Amino acid sequence: MLQIKDLQARVEDKEILKGINLEIKPGEVHAIMGPNGSGKSTLASVLAGHPGFEVTGGQVLFEGQDLLDLKPEERAREGLFLAFQYPVEIPGVSNMTFLKTALEEIRAHNGLPAFSAKEFMKLLREKQDLVEFNTSLVNRSVNEGFSGGEKKRNEILQLAMLNPKLAILDETDSGLDIDALRIVAGGVNKLRSSENAFLVITHYQRLLDYIVPDVVHILSGGKIIKSGPKELALELEEKGYDWLREVETTE
Amino acid sequence: MELGIFNNTYSYLSEAFEKEHLKERSFESQSLLAKRAEAFQLFNLKGFPSVKNEDWRFTNLNKVFKEDYQFRKQEPAFSSSTGTIPGLKACKIVLVNGKVSPELSDPLPEGVSFLSTEAALAEEAYSGRIGAIAVQGENAILGFNTAFFKDFYVLHVRAKKLIETPIHISHHFTGNTEAALIAYRLLVLAEELSESTLIETFHSDLQAPVFLSYVSEFSLAESAVLHTHWVNSASEDLHLVHHREVEQFRNSIFNNSNLSLGNAAFIRNNLNCRLKGSGTETNLLGSYVVNGSQHVDNHTIVDHQKPNSNSMELYKGIMLDKSHAVFNGKIFVQIDAQKTNAFQKNNNILLSDQATINSKPQLEIFADDVKCSHGSTVGQFDEGAMFYLRTRGISEEAAKRMLIQAFVAEVHSKINISALRDYVSQLLQTKLERDNLIIA
Repeated sequence: MLQIKDLQARVEDKEILKGINLEIKPGEVHAIMGPNGSGKSTLASVLAGHPGFEVTGGQVLFEGQDLLDLKPEERAREGLFLAFQYPVEIPGVSNMTFLKTALEEIRAHNGLPAFSAKEFMKLLREKQDLVEFNTSLVNRSVNEGFSGGEKKRNEILQLAMLNPKLAILDETDSGLDIDALRIVAGGVNKLRSSENAFLVITHYQRLLDYIVPDVVHILSGGKIIKSGPKELALELEEKGYDWLREVETTE
Repeated sequence: MELGIFNNTYSYLSEAFEKEHLKERSFESQSLLAKRAEAFQLFNLKGFPSVKNEDWRFTNLNKVFKEDYQFRKQEPAFSSSTGTIPGLKACKIVLVNGKVSPELSDPLPEGVSFLSTEAALAEEAYSGRIGAIAVQGENAILGFNTAFFKDFYVLHVRAKKLIETPIHISHHFTGNTEAALIAYRLLVLAEELSESTLIETFHSDLQAPVFLSYVSEFSLAESAVLHTHWVNSASEDLHLVHHREVEQFRNSIFNNSNLSLGNAAFIRNNLNCRLKGSGTETNLLGSYVVNGSQHVDNHTIVDHQKPNSNSMELYKGIMLDKSHAVFNGKIFVQIDAQKTNAFQKNNNILLSDQATINSKPQLEIFADDVKCSHGSTVGQFDEGAMFYLRTRGISEEAAKRMLIQAFVAEVHSKINISALRDYVSQLLQTKLERDNLIIA
């Protein structure tokens, strides 16, 4: 589904990604862990098409297509989704309008007819239940005045509504208490299928107790320095990020 | 000595005043004719205001005078559209080129009367108020209207009447083939304890440009409540200079919205509220979304003269292409006006390198126990919000449109008549659909 080959990127003059290689197949959940400043969020932003980052080398194929050639909205329509670490507040745009517009654009791209108001509401209610998202929040402006947990649940609600092939969760666990974390992880687990894939970016192992990955990658200094089964996350948690330096020097 | 504009239109007017204009006005009272003569004298001396005049510093009337304007004989005209607001239950009064069109107008409910020129001028109670609320002082453009207005309308709401159905004055400009001057005025009297709503909309469908001078004077008696909305959706050939002067007495409430969402090439709105009694409330909303080479200028004055009054002002604008907008908001808090609360905010977004906004808030406070604030911002779109919308599959153009709508929604959402709110959002959508929003 996703093949990243030797991806390099920078912001202004600073090289951040220095050759990332990663392959994700349908049905898989990959986790990327790493210390602050290792390039985790940059990777997420570059994949989503953030204009602030410049790709200086490498290739990204998404379903066989050159992802880096596509605009952010085209990537979304092809089935890529980024759950933001810091979801943006948009005063004046209602969550409902936002969801409906996004869903319609994506459905139109896939040659599907627009939903009727009734069909849309039915789908919305169903997905709202998945993340225990209060109806009053649906009618408010996008993320405006939402608590941290409400914002993250809104990301997962959008994920559920848009039903992407590949979802990137960028530190979705940051700033969540355990109840909110369980709700968010529970929502993600219900959305997992053999058709879709997830790339879970996190600083802490805790989230991976709830969203169990198939593969864990450790990112440090703009490169993946180690990949392994889910136990790698536990090992990292136990030994701490200092352990990475040893890994780096020995490899 | 400030320099005015003394162009062909001015010369025409200078000559026409006695030779043509006064001859038509022989039915008017001596006192009105004297008022006209005095106003003409001021205009004749000063001409149209030029950019040397501080109040017109950023708004160059020469832009309007690319053509030479004259008063034209206005044939009774029918407008192709009647400017109906879908779903709005309202009593409509239609003015075509400044002339009331009785066959297009609805009867009014009990407690309100609407008088047209001859009837209105025949009563000293009305004609005596001309220029008494909007005092001309040194204002030559106000003098121009007083000297030359052809029509005068009065909307009079009687004491203690609650008029639930909005009165909708629909202004149409149509059918002219030569550059035309049109000048008229409106007097609105809201007696004590009355409550009513006035909606004014502007529409045009023109073959040649029109220069419209429109003056409206409002008097709100003690405890009167008046809601007014002004929606301009005229086409580009309309050039409008509007002056609205409002006097408010004790405990009265005045809510006004002024929305420029059409394509009129030139709009100058002066909105002055004189708060002459204590305990008054004044809420002023405004929006302007301008493109091409449109010019929209909003000048407002909120003049707190007595204690315990509240005023709130919010104007928001978006400038595209080579458009130019001006906001000048003055708040006065006079020495007697203790315990005043006065707030003013003007927020702007510039969407093009060639667009201009001149925003000037002014606060002059002479009392010492007051709460006042004002703020003015100019910005661009929030790039973070743009990216967020795009990552959800929404195109750059659609995202821009959503953010424009969201920006002015803070103003438009405060309109409490749902049919009018829908009409406004439809106008905005139409305007945005026609424009190419992708701007480098």
